[in-house]
Amino acid sequence: MSKTGSISKYLDAELLAKLSSMEVKSRAAVEGMIEGLHKSPVKGFNVEFSEYRQYVPGDSLRDIDWKVYARTDKYYIKEHEEETNLSGYVIMDTSGSMSYKGAGKISKLDYAATLAASLSYLMLKQQDSVGLVTFADGVRKIIRPKTGMAHLKIICNELEMTKPESTTSIGESLDAVGQIMKKRGVFIIFSDLMDNAELVINKLRQLKKRRHEIILYHVLDRDEISFPFDDTTVFKDLEDKSEIITDAFTLKNEYLRRIRNMVNTFKSALRKSGIDYLLADTSISPEINLRSFFTRRQSYNLWGDRQ
Amino acid sequence: MTFISPWFLLGLLGIAIPVYLHLYYRKTPVQKEFPSLRLIKLSVEYVARRKKIRNLILMTLRILTIILVVMAMARPFLGASASASADAQAPSAFVVLLDNSMSMSSVDKGISAFNSARSKALELIEQMTENDRATVGFVNEPGRLGYSQLTWDKEALKKIISDSKISAGGTDIASSLLPALKLLAPLKTHKKAVFLITDMTESAWRPFLDRYDIAEIDKSIDLVVVPMGAQEIDNMAVTDLRVESPIVMTGKKTAVKAKIANYSKQAKKIRAVFAINGERKSEKELEVEANSEKEADFEIVFVKAGMNRIALTINSDSLPADNERHAALRVFDPCRILIVKPENIPGAPENREDLFVKFALNPLAKSKDNSFITESRSANELNNVDFKRYAAVILINQRRLNADVLKLLSEYLMGGGNLITFLGDRTEPEWYNENLTDNLGGGYLLPARLYKRVGNAVSKSVYYQLTDLDLGHPAFNIFEAEGNGDPSRARIYEFFQVKPNASAIVLSRMSHGFPGIVEENRGAGKSLLITFSADTKWTNWPAKPTWLPFLHQSLISMITSKEVTVKNVKPGMPVSITIMQKDTGKLKIVLPDETEINPSSNNGYKGILHLTITDTEQAGYYEIVSEKLGVLTAFAVNPPAVESMLKKINLRDIPRFIPLKDEPGKRTVKDKVSVLRNGYDLGGISLIMLVLLAIAENLLANKPAKKRTE
Repeated sequence: MSKTGSISKYLDAELLAKLSSMEVKSRAAVEGMIEGLHKSPVKGFNVEFSEYRQYVPGDSLRDIDWKVYARTDKYYIKEHEEETNLSGYVIMDTSGSMSYKGAGKISKLDYAATLAASLSYLMLKQQDSVGLVTFADGVRKIIRPKTGMAHLKIICNELEMTKPESTTSIGESLDAVGQIMKKRGVFIIFSDLMDNAELVINKLRQLKKRRHEIILYHVLDRDEISFPFDDTTVFKDLEDKSEIITDAFTLKNEYLRRIRNMVNTFKSALRKSGIDYLLADTSISPEINLRSFFTRRQSYNLWGDRQ
Repeated sequence: MTFISPWFLLGLLGIAIPVYLHLYYRKTPVQKEFPSLRLIKLSVEYVARRKKIRNLILMTLRILTIILVVMAMARPFLGASASASADAQAPSAFVVLLDNSMSMSSVDKGISAFNSARSKALELIEQMTENDRATVGFVNEPGRLGYSQLTWDKEALKKIISDSKISAGGTDIASSLLPALKLLAPLKTHKKAVFLITDMTESAWRPFLDRYDIAEIDKSIDLVVVPMGAQEIDNMAVTDLRVESPIVMTGKKTAVKAKIANYSKQAKKIRAVFAINGERKSEKELEVEANSEKEADFEIVFVKAGMNRIALTINSDSLPADNERHAALRVFDPCRILIVKPENIPGAPENREDLFVKFALNPLAKSKDNSFITESRSANELNNVDFKRYAAVILINQRRLNADVLKLLSEYLMGGGNLITFLGDRTEPEWYNENLTDNLGGGYLLPARLYKRVGNAVSKSVYYQLTDLDLGHPAFNIFEAEGNGDPSRARIYEFFQVKPNASAIVLSRMSHGFPGIVEENRGAGKSLLITFSADTKWTNWPAKPTWLPFLHQSLISMITSKEVTVKNVKPGMPVSITIMQKDTGKLKIVLPDETEINPSSNNGYKGILHLTITDTEQAGYYEIVSEKLGVLTAFAVNPPAVESMLKKINLRDIPRFIPLKDEPGKRTVKDKVSVLRNGYDLGGISLIMLVLLAIAENLLANKPAKKRTE
């Protein structure tokens, strides 16, 4: 584990040690070349028994269970589940808004990158292949999925190198990713979703229809959730650099109502479509976020209620 | 500069609040980067819309603040009264009218309405300040002002109120309100008000409202009514007590009628007790329906001649003053009538010309139990007769009378006797004129001079009828009612043409205009001349049914004419009485409460006494007593029947009058009068509202942060 600590600032050895027993499993079947933890739709010769079926001409004689024949005088084929490796993409929003660092010590991008690197490590560790897509107002960088720990460094390097800038255009970026990723796999998206909610939801649904498994991390700073401002303030947009002067106190209730609506809209719409929605509050330690992902893919909602 | 309420200057400390808030929130905007302004912009748009409304409210609050600042400085007063609209520093002039009519003596739960009213009047007078002027008045019948001018002397006014007593009289609002208004009207620089403290009975207000247009009363005078007494009081009252027969004789059954009223919502049983001279004579149980009157008849036999005091009493209730009613009644012993008939002609049958008169007055020739006891004598039997023993002397168709008898008759008549003269075929006009009129000088007997005979009683071919009956005269008054007969149906075939004296009155004329019956007051007596016969020789009237009542009524009117009959005397009403009595000695008047007063009497010609009694406030008997002769006459004073109706008038039906209700535990009379006089002082309220507005304005404008995390 000490090795991993030197690979990237996003990989915390202690954290990874705690998570080492975890496995990144796909809920749905995924297609992969390497035998791994994940169920493959192709029947294989794995040791894990699946079912018996009657012999039909054309079946390989190797598959006949002779012990059953001896007992029943009939030919039965013993079928096995094939296990394959998982092919996943970490899709990282690197727009300007992700650079926001509120009262906490860590920016939204750094927090998302920590989660992404940790998950990549765990996936690579279980022989899955992991790729990386960074996007802002369009796709900025694509690293194809590969297995092996050496690939982790490439991913981490890319995450470290990327500077958050420009506006967010999630829809366009997801289209691009969908075209690249022909094979069914897992998309782990990290974004603050500062885009049109309806558009984002539609694009995610389209990806889901292609039988990809999608996990969405909605990364928000504590300031965005609680809006702890009271004074007359000049707010400056980190994406388009526009400014607005307003009395934060009079605005507070209305802002909180809107952010709450936004989170609830994403949560309910995505869950209906079978997409995992997880709220990543940067004030909560990454470990808690990851543990909740691993156990029941649960998260904490904005106000700390366990879902 | 002086301040009416200098402690309000402490409010200036409140200036610190906006200054503090201003300094507290005066900050330059903070610069802050934020991930995305998308949600902030949407929120700003929404909040801006709401802020517009808030800004409008803020503007309204600020405008109100300025208005209140100005108002608070101007010390505004608000009130509906005319006084409140007048100069705030002007002194007050007011009249307190205290209702002391009988209805105010009602008692509810042990509290007398009049006592409450009196204390209320004292409270009102207590509100007089140094420069104020006032007077008090009493609302009864007739009302009066305690002082005819406005005075500064508060203590004197309080004494008048404290000494005031309830009267037995009715309520005449106008009689004291109008003088009060007249007193206040000329004052130009005063706040003027009339406070009327009354029990608000409808029976008192309705006649006043019907007669006067209150809306026309001087608008600068506030009319304030202070309602007293319970809202609904059950009351029973004796509203009438009378004897219908014109003359009451001793020993004869007399019908006495009474009316008992029930002014409540349910039927009530009562016991009515009839008493004569304080002695219980008869009792009756009666049930009187709700809100109705019931007549009660009593058959009474009077035993004592002279003035009798009669009274009807019912059970006591919340208004005891009307549970007893009094009447004074003169009772006569049977009247002795001397009939002087023509002398019998020797050898001829006994003269019976007195038959019809005798029969009419005493048909059964009773010596007692009859109103009249008759005695017939001929002229030559009159020498030793004492005429004074007789209530009346009737001369029938006399030829001559002895000069001594004529002199005695003249004295009798002038001294208060009554003379009725019938003429006839024996009458010689010249002798009558000479001896019954001319020779007697001032003491003449006949009310008219006789001339010739008219008509022919023998042939009876022509007849005359009585016309122009003086129905107002007691002798013919009875014929005014239909069904009591008509004397003009009688036929008169022959009569004497007469010329009435200057002071005589013609009670009836013949159908062609000559006087038929003439009457004249002679001294203290009366003389009645009938120009035809007393029997059926010259007329058929004695055979007609109207003969008897005519004779009775004529005699009764003559006998009772000297009697002072003062009826329906209301409390407070001055009573004038004329008594024809010589040698009365010292007179005194005994009031119902047994106090005695000396009358202001005017001794007129030949024993005619004129008395005026003004002190008739009490209900009950008033007796005029002579030192020598005892009770000369009496009369009774009773409260007016309408005063027993305690139904209240609705305050809404009384325009112009501002009610000053008695609400124990709420605002005091002092406060109410102050509000009435000055209106509501809005200065304090303005300041309080101003402070509240200032706080509201600051709160709204700056929204102090409850959760501000600085």
